[in-house]
Parts: sequence; structure tokens; C-alpha cells
Amino acid sequence: MNLEKSHKRYLKKFPWMDRLRGGWAIYKQNLLGKIGLSLLVMFALMAICSFIPPLIDPMYQPMTGVDPEITKSTGPSLRHWLGTDFMGRDLLSQLLAGTRVAFLVGVSAAFMSIVLGTAIGMVAGYMGRFVDTFLMRLADMIMVMPTMLVVLMLAALFGQLTIWTIVLIIALFRWPGVSRVIRAQTLSLKHRPFIEAARVAGASHTRIIFRHIMPNVLPLSFLYMTFRVTSAIIIEAALAFLGFGDPSTVSWGMMLQWVWKTGHMFKAPYWLLPPGICISLITLAFYMLGRAMDEVLDPRLRKEAGTE
Amino acid sequence: MKMNNDRETIIELEHIVKKYTSRGFFFGTRGNEIIALNKISIKILKGEIFGLVGESGSGKTTAGRLIVRLEKPEEGRIYLNGREMAGLKGKALKNFHRKVQMIFQDPYQSLNPQLSVFDTISEPLVIHKIGNTEDREDAVWQTMKSVGLSPPDDFVNRYPHQLSGGQRQRVAIARAMVLNPDFVVADEPTSMLDASISAQIFNILIEMREKFQVTLLFITHSLSAARYLCDRIAVIYKGNMMELGSADQVIQKPRHPYTKALIDALPKFGLSGKVKHYNTLLPVEREASEHEGCPFFARCRVANKAKCSLERPLLKETDDSHWVACFYAENGTEKGF
Repeated sequence: MNLEKSHKRYLKKFPWMDRLRGGWAIYKQNLLGKIGLSLLVMFALMAICSFIPPLIDPMYQPMTGVDPEITKSTGPSLRHWLGTDFMGRDLLSQLLAGTRVAFLVGVSAAFMSIVLGTAIGMVAGYMGRFVDTFLMRLADMIMVMPTMLVVLMLAALFGQLTIWTIVLIIALFRWPGVSRVIRAQTLSLKHRPFIEAARVAGASHTRIIFRHIMPNVLPLSFLYMTFRVTSAIIIEAALAFLGFGDPSTVSWGMMLQWVWKTGHMFKAPYWLLPPGICISLITLAFYMLGRAMDEVLDPRLRKEAGTE
Repeated sequence: MKMNNDRETIIELEHIVKKYTSRGFFFGTRGNEIIALNKISIKILKGEIFGLVGESGSGKTTAGRLIVRLEKPEEGRIYLNGREMAGLKGKALKNFHRKVQMIFQDPYQSLNPQLSVFDTISEPLVIHKIGNTEDREDAVWQTMKSVGLSPPDDFVNRYPHQLSGGQRQRVAIARAMVLNPDFVVADEPTSMLDASISAQIFNILIEMREKFQVTLLFITHSLSAARYLCDRIAVIYKGNMMELGSADQVIQKPRHPYTKALIDALPKFGLSGKVKHYNTLLPVEREASEHEGCPFFARCRVANKAKCSLERPLLKETDDSHWVACFYAENGTEKGF
């Protein structure tokens, strides 16, 4: 027994790190994934850099900073790399601040809808019967509601919405799709023998859901999260463009609204194009990330890669 | 192992009936009723390996699932150590789960792909809040060694997809054994494994019995596996108990035509001339009886139409604790084969 104790054991604290590394090895081989990831890194750098311009000079404040020498929109120059808007605010610092908002809106709305969707999907799939019927009919009801229209109506009712209200509304309207997928996955997991083995061992329902089902649906949730980010960013941009965005934040949609509202649509391409391209690129990047992750999670592909 | 009748009963099934109802065409209507188990009574004695043999769909797996409470019987009672288990709740229920475990058929399905070997085996300990982290590690290491996963260091950090079929089944056995249960249901633990690994798994089960004093219910379709492992064997057909006796009795001196048919069905290697064939199976099934007759009537060569199709034979003791449900059990061997 003493010998037994003195034997040094080799138990890894985080054995799943190895799997993550294996997944990364597969991800690396995917061209789409690499492009998407580098684009995202670029946007992340932009978001981080958004703090720099205001430090250099107060006139680079995206919302409040105005160049005292400029009274109308001007094109790119050394002083303003991307030019200025109609009242002399720097477009580059607006674009950088917009990146931050896009990440914030996209990731937090997607994260919230994923948490909600996964929890509801797992409970519906696992409990079955009445709970399942109730939750899934609720999901159907929300799914058929046009998100845009409801948000516009809410905005008309309550006036300007803050960015967090918009995030919350997007999250509340975007969970049903996730929960349907997670429910289907849970249904197929529920009758697998390893769940029965947990029941035989005496695990409670909560433990089965969180310890045995959740790790198996979580990769799928994260996959859906990347797609939800895309839709959240687009919804926010559309809202802002239509004039229902948060007036105290600069988002890309807001920039587009200003171009349009001040009549610079066809006069100032240096103002119109950057936010438009950024919206397209960031949604594309998240989509590519999702596609690449899809391939990592596909067991058929995993086998082909022959990591084990 | 010699059987003596004064040994304690650990699990007792009493007149168990289990039906499955298929869903009907319309909402709320009921479809066909399939009887998986028909008034089965079994007493399993402490320390023995009890074999439950039958073909696919005979209800043998259902019996195992009933014992571990994965299903509920429609009628009848199940006792563990003389205590009925239908009404168990709370602490008593948790205690029950600690004492009765199951090894599943398919090791590729019975392990959670997202849990490492250590997490899988220690999971029951965590559920029952046994010991601290170190105690659990001790228990896992010990159990892994006893099921032949050694050195455990090589396996604890692996995931199921990094293990072979035999290793997976060892992990599943370790998970069942780590709680030190009194009773384990082994539901065809080797049907997905090849022969040489099956033999290793059987030896582990035998070792477990000796080491942990565990009682096993071994469910199988293979009479040869049952003979290798079991002390007593019950043969069931379509949810009905056909024959029950010691392994030697059932296999050397089978009395029920169905058991004989099962023995005939075993592949015999290089012995075709010497082996006696009972030849009890009808090549073409006859029309099933409309009455509550013998369940095996439609396929039985020995059956007497006037008797077997009208009346169900009851389980009778023919000789020393060898029970058979056939009218022609006693004189069957001499007559007509």
C-alpha cells in the first residue's frame, strides 16, 4: 500500500487541451478557416487600436471630436487618413470605434442567444413530453416573427434604443434556431447507452444534462454562435442605417446612415466604402470561421485526418 | 461451484410482466402490444454468476434493464436483498444505485466521448460523493489495475476514441466496479468484441466475482459463453422462462426442445460426425396456436397439437433444481429424437 502511494501518478489537469490542439491541427489545414481567422485578427487589432486616435488629439474623438479647420466632408489626407465627415469628424477613428461596437454587438448577442438556445434545447430534448411541446411551440412562435419588424416597432414605441437593448432583443429573437438544433442533438443523445450508464450510476437529471449531454452539444453551440454573430452584426447595422441605432455610439451602420442622410452617398466614396466593406468582411470572416469549425467537428473528416 | 439451496437470494424477480405498446395510427390510440417478459420469476443467489440465455428479442436485455431500474415492470415485483425496489426514493434510491450496476453491450456507445477515462471511471464516485480527490484517484487506479488497464498512467488521460474495443469494455467494467457494487448486470458485454478479447473479458468478470464478492447476471445469446462463465443458466424464449438449472444440467442434459435447438445451433468445429443432434426445430414454422398455448409451439418438432397448442406448460422441477416448462420434458430424451 505504501508503495502504491509513493508511486507518482500522471493525471493531467486539463486532458481536453490535447483535443483542442488536435482540433487546431485540423483547423489549420483549412484555407477558408485561415483566411477567416486572419481577417478576424485584423478586425480585433482595429478594435484595440480604436483607443489610440483620441489619445493623440481630442479632435480624433469619433463622436465629439471635430477638426476646427474643416467644416465640410473632405477626402483622405495626411491629417485624416480616411477623410472627414460633414462636420469634420475623423472617419478612421469612427471606423475603428465601429469595429469595437460590431464585436461587442455580434459576440454578446450571439453568446446570449447561444446560452439561451442551448439551455432551452437541452431541457426540451431531455425532459420531453409537455415541457418539450411547450418550449418548442414557443420557439416556433418566436421564429416566425420577423426580427427586424419587431425591433423597428419597439424602437418606434420606446424611442431610441441603447446598444444593450438592441443586443438583448437580438438575443431574445435568435435563440429558437439554436434550440431546435440542440434539442435534436439531445434527443439523439438521450437514448445513448452512456446516458443510461449515468442513470444506472445514480446521476440526477441536472447532472446528466450538464455533465453528460452539455459537453456533447457544446461544440455544436459554438459552431452556431459563429453564424449568429454574423446575423447580429447585420441586424445592428441595418437598424442603425434606418436610424434606430443607439445615437451615442458610432457603429458602421450609423456611419452609413450619416453618409446617406447628409446626401454624400455618391459624392464621398471614401466615406461610404470603408464601413460597407468592413460589414461585408467581418460577416464573411465569421462565416468562414464557422465553416472551418464545422469541418473540425465533423467526425468523418476527423477520421480522414487520421490524428489518432 | 457447487450449488446449495441455503444461500441467500440477492435479487428476486417475482412474476414480472413487461409490455411494450407501439403507438397507434391516430392520436391516443394504442397499437400492438408486445409482451417482452411474461410472468418471469428468477431468484439470483449471492455470489453466483447467473446466465440469462435467449435469442434476439427474447426479452433478456429487458430483464436486465428492469433490474437496474432503466425500465419499470407492468406487473410483478423486484426485490434486492429482500427489499422491494419499486418504491425506493431519495437516499434509499441512491443507495440502491450504489449497489446495482450494469455493463452495457456496446462499448462504443456506452462511454461518453467527451469524458476522459479518469472522468468516466470516477464519475460514479463523484455522484455518490465518496472520498476526496485523492481517495477517488486511489480507487480509480486500483480498479483500473484489476480490470487489466495497466499501467493506469497510460490510460487515464485518454478519450474513448483513443481506445480499442476491448479497452473500452474494460473501462466500462471499471466504471461499474468502482463503487464496489453487490450486483452487476452484464448485458452481452462481449457481443461487439472478437473471440480472444471476449475470453479476456470473461476472465476479468470471473476475477471480479472472486475479488469483490459481486453477483453477476450475465445476459448472452451464446450458450458456450454462458457455460464458460455461469453457475446457473435460465433459458428464455419470447419472454417466457423455458428452462432453468445449473450450467451443466442445462447444457449437458437439456430437457426443453428450445434449449436443444439452441445447442444444435452452436457451430461445432471438426466434430460433426460425433455430436448428437437433437433436431427439435421445425424447418418450417407451423401456424401459431390461437389459444394460450406453449410459446414455442410454432417451431417445435416435438409438440403435440392436441396438448401444446391449447395449454401452456408450467415450469416444473424435473430433477435436482432443474426446472423445465415442457410437457414432454421428462421422457423427451428417450422419445422421438
